[in-house]
Amino acid sequence: MNQVVSQAMPVKLDVKGVSQHFEMGGGEKPLSVLENIDLSIPSGKFVSLIGESGCGKSTLLRIMAGLLPPSQGHVAHDGAPISGINHRLGFVFQQDAVFPWLTVEKNVEYGPKARGLPKAERERLVVHWCESVGLSNFRKAYPKQLSGGMRKRVDLARAYANSPDVLLMDEPFAALDVQTKGVMQQAVQDLWKSTGKTVVFVTHDLEEAVFLSDLVVILKSRPGRIHSIVPIDIGRPRDERTRLSDEFAAAKRSLWNAMQAARATRA
Amino acid sequence: MAGSTLAETAPPGRHGAFVRWLLQPSFVLGCLSLLGVIAIYWLVSLRSGVNESLVPSPPQIAAAFVEELASGELWTNTVASLWRVVVGFGIGAGLAVVLGALSGWFPYWGYILNPIIDAIRPIPALAYIPLVIVWVGIGEPSRIIIIALAVFKPCVVNARAGMQEVAQIHVDAARTLGASRWRVFSTVAIPSSIPYLIAGLRTGLSTGFLALVAAELIAAPTGLGFMIQNAGQYFRTDITIVGIIVIGILGALLDQAAFRTGRAMTAWSEVRRLP
Repeated sequence: MNQVVSQAMPVKLDVKGVSQHFEMGGGEKPLSVLENIDLSIPSGKFVSLIGESGCGKSTLLRIMAGLLPPSQGHVAHDGAPISGINHRLGFVFQQDAVFPWLTVEKNVEYGPKARGLPKAERERLVVHWCESVGLSNFRKAYPKQLSGGMRKRVDLARAYANSPDVLLMDEPFAALDVQTKGVMQQAVQDLWKSTGKTVVFVTHDLEEAVFLSDLVVILKSRPGRIHSIVPIDIGRPRDERTRLSDEFAAAKRSLWNAMQAARATRA
Repeated sequence: MAGSTLAETAPPGRHGAFVRWLLQPSFVLGCLSLLGVIAIYWLVSLRSGVNESLVPSPPQIAAAFVEELASGELWTNTVASLWRVVVGFGIGAGLAVVLGALSGWFPYWGYILNPIIDAIRPIPALAYIPLVIVWVGIGEPSRIIIIALAVFKPCVVNARAGMQEVAQIHVDAARTLGASRWRVFSTVAIPSSIPYLIAGLRTGLSTGFLALVAAELIAAPTGLGFMIQNAGQYFRTDITIVGIIVIGILGALLDQAAFRTGRAMTAWSEVRRLP
């Protein structure tokens, strides 16, 4: 199943035999959320994990981030096994994770400051990343003064400003309205293109997966397993017109078919 | 010329805003209810057969206020009381914030400190007065200890609660950005619990103020508590009432100061604010 992914492409993240069970207590047998996942994320690619809710896609992402130790197996980053949280693996959460007590620029500066970078370097990063996400005029604003989309921009800038090697994004735009979501997808594509950094993106939105991804990994549920990996061969940069094109519709249809197949073969 | 026209028209505008502020229902009704209480008291004090040295009329109370002010007694006593509150509050609140934060955030500190905090929680600070007097005497330290004990309790409970309510998402975000455990404590746990800390400090300030008067009633050569107690013994009810009013005003001012400081420190907070 893995053969589609990497023809001689260097592997950035390598998930090897990962299973995850949650103890239910009360004598019930443990809930199996992920079962024996093998997945290679090629370096520099935009990879989406997609599946029904409850298929364990967010759990898999948290394991990749080191936020959750897997019950079995391991994840290797550039060949070295991950043990615990690591700032080289940036994370963008589904919920609003911006620190409300810090201004936009202090939020963006948080990672570099935690890692002890000198003031001048931090200032450079803040200016650059606030600019990159279009928040230059809001650097002194507190999150409560910003809209939901702008807060997500802060989240993205904060993750990128920490110079991670891989970006892990857990349904970051699930709570946004359709228009804002489209704009944010564009912003993420731009960030991915300009940095060349590997992104693993969890979503349950087919259109989002097609628009953003090089590869879409389809998971099936209970327990979560990889059903198939679908490459999206649509040229870049993709924009609003791309969404209306025939090849976009075709890619979306083939993803939809694969999702249906995944649902049908569920044990 | 244009400038002077502006200068001439500006004051009526500001004046208008001030008048509107004075006329809003919260202010008008607030004043009326206070005046109503004074009026009822005044009527009672004027009834025939009421001993005017025991129930002095408002003008007598005002005269006593002027008298105490002129003699410098009121000032001396107020300063003495305020000093005790400030020192007692500093010690009690400082200890409470440190211990509450440690016990609420770090599990092992919690295992050690929580039993102590929960054991002293139901005990009113005033219950320690006899013990403190026996152990420390009736000097200045014992009064400050009593105030500090009274301040400590609400502050420690709130500081601990604030730490227990820190959002997991903020902790996870900080950790994925490379923050050490200590940095998560200092840059996430402490700022996000500030609204709780402020609420605790504000409650602590008012309980400290209550304890102050109690501590001064027992044995003190100065202070507002001493002033009302002493005046009562000489049937100077007017001076007692002056003391009570000053305590009330001072307490309200301190509370407002704490409230406004707290609000300025939590300007980022997203909770609803009443005007």
